[in-house]
Amino acid sequence: MTRTPDLIDALVDCATPVRRLRPPLIRAMFWLGFAGLVLALVAMGHGLRTDLTVRLYQPGFAITTAAALVSGILSAVAAFVISLPARSRWWLMLPTPTLAVWISTIGYGCLTDWVGLGPDGFRIAEELRCLALLVLTSVPLAIALTVMLRYAAMLRAGAVAAMGGLAIAAITAAALSLFHDHDATALILLWNLGTTMLIVGIASLFGRRVFWTASQLLTSQPGVRTR
Amino acid sequence: MSPGPRRRRLSLTLVASSADAALVGSGQRNTNRTRDWGGLMARAQDGDRLAYRALLEDMTPYLRTLAARCFKEPSDTEDAVQDVLLTVHAIRHTFDPRRPFGPWLVAIANRRIIDRLRRQTRARSHELKMSAEHETFSSDAANFHSDELSADSAALHAAIAALPPDQRQAIGLLKLKEMSLKEAALASGRSVSALKVATHRAIKSLRKLLRQV
Repeated sequence: MTRTPDLIDALVDCATPVRRLRPPLIRAMFWLGFAGLVLALVAMGHGLRTDLTVRLYQPGFAITTAAALVSGILSAVAAFVISLPARSRWWLMLPTPTLAVWISTIGYGCLTDWVGLGPDGFRIAEELRCLALLVLTSVPLAIALTVMLRYAAMLRAGAVAAMGGLAIAAITAAALSLFHDHDATALILLWNLGTTMLIVGIASLFGRRVFWTASQLLTSQPGVRTR
Repeated sequence: MSPGPRRRRLSLTLVASSADAALVGSGQRNTNRTRDWGGLMARAQDGDRLAYRALLEDMTPYLRTLAARCFKEPSDTEDAVQDVLLTVHAIRHTFDPRRPFGPWLVAIANRRIIDRLRRQTRARSHELKMSAEHETFSSDAANFHSDELSADSAALHAAIAALPPDQRQAIGLLKLKEMSLKEAALASGRSVSALKVATHRAIKSLRKLLRQV
């Protein structure tokens, strides 16, 4: 076992100047800016849905999309704040009101649409395109968030990963509403709630390991390896 | 007037503002040796190794006190302290000098201590304490020799001796000496698959032989 004074010597030897993190709100804004850029690129590549202007005037669609977007923004802010030591756990509650609005509106909308459309609401080709769009949007956001929050591996990895996953899922769902033509299918419920739960679940299960790997890959401290 | 011996304070001294940090950072220290840990960390972030050493050395006894409340063994306490020091080092860039140092450090220490306690609990749930009677060795001297056991053992050894040489060798290496397949292959110069086949045949033969006894 290394003696503590020896460890202190080793730590002092490799104590290079470090750049302090910017305040969490500003870092969250950077990430949200990146998310906006990704969405803009996808919009340029894929194009917005043809009936977007009509749909935006429908209160149900506007409320669902806005609630998803705001849930994403608030979850991202919460993830950045609670990733730091000694920040209150109450920040985890920040996206709760908009999340409740979002889930209740998509749940009700889907149920009525599904009943109205019947089995025709399920179209495999459309849904596969939808899945590709989902992956294209969420993967860059997930990578950026993992890199920015890698230090959380040593603190609240699970909570940070869950909040980050929720932010990615909510923003992806909002993006799908803007890009994807057929939101009146039963699968929208699956995409929205299913992907949210999937991403949040994966993030909670593997968040610590992912953050840990990212922190080890991106932090090179010669002679000192944490844990 | 001599100030007399003073007890070194282990409590945290929190910085109210960056102005205080700058004051301490400029080298002014309290005469009662209470250091401003937030100020020291701010200087350490800028690469001041002396400040960093002072900070780590100052906070180690405090961390030890925190850890000692949760661990019985002094070695566990020391491991926990080292864990906290490593984490503080790895994420020292997350400290904001405008915020108090105490809660920052305590949050890290608590997290590390809880993680270590969880790991210990998990490890203990998989471990079984063995008493001296459970220990046994392959040499004769370490084994018990009751009549029943020695009768069984004699029959088994006789059956093993009656096996063809390649099967006897496979049983000896893999079952009696408890070598892995790779180790046995290295020791005997035979391939892993040959050893597997020989063991399989040997066990079949042993079953037959022991049934006859």
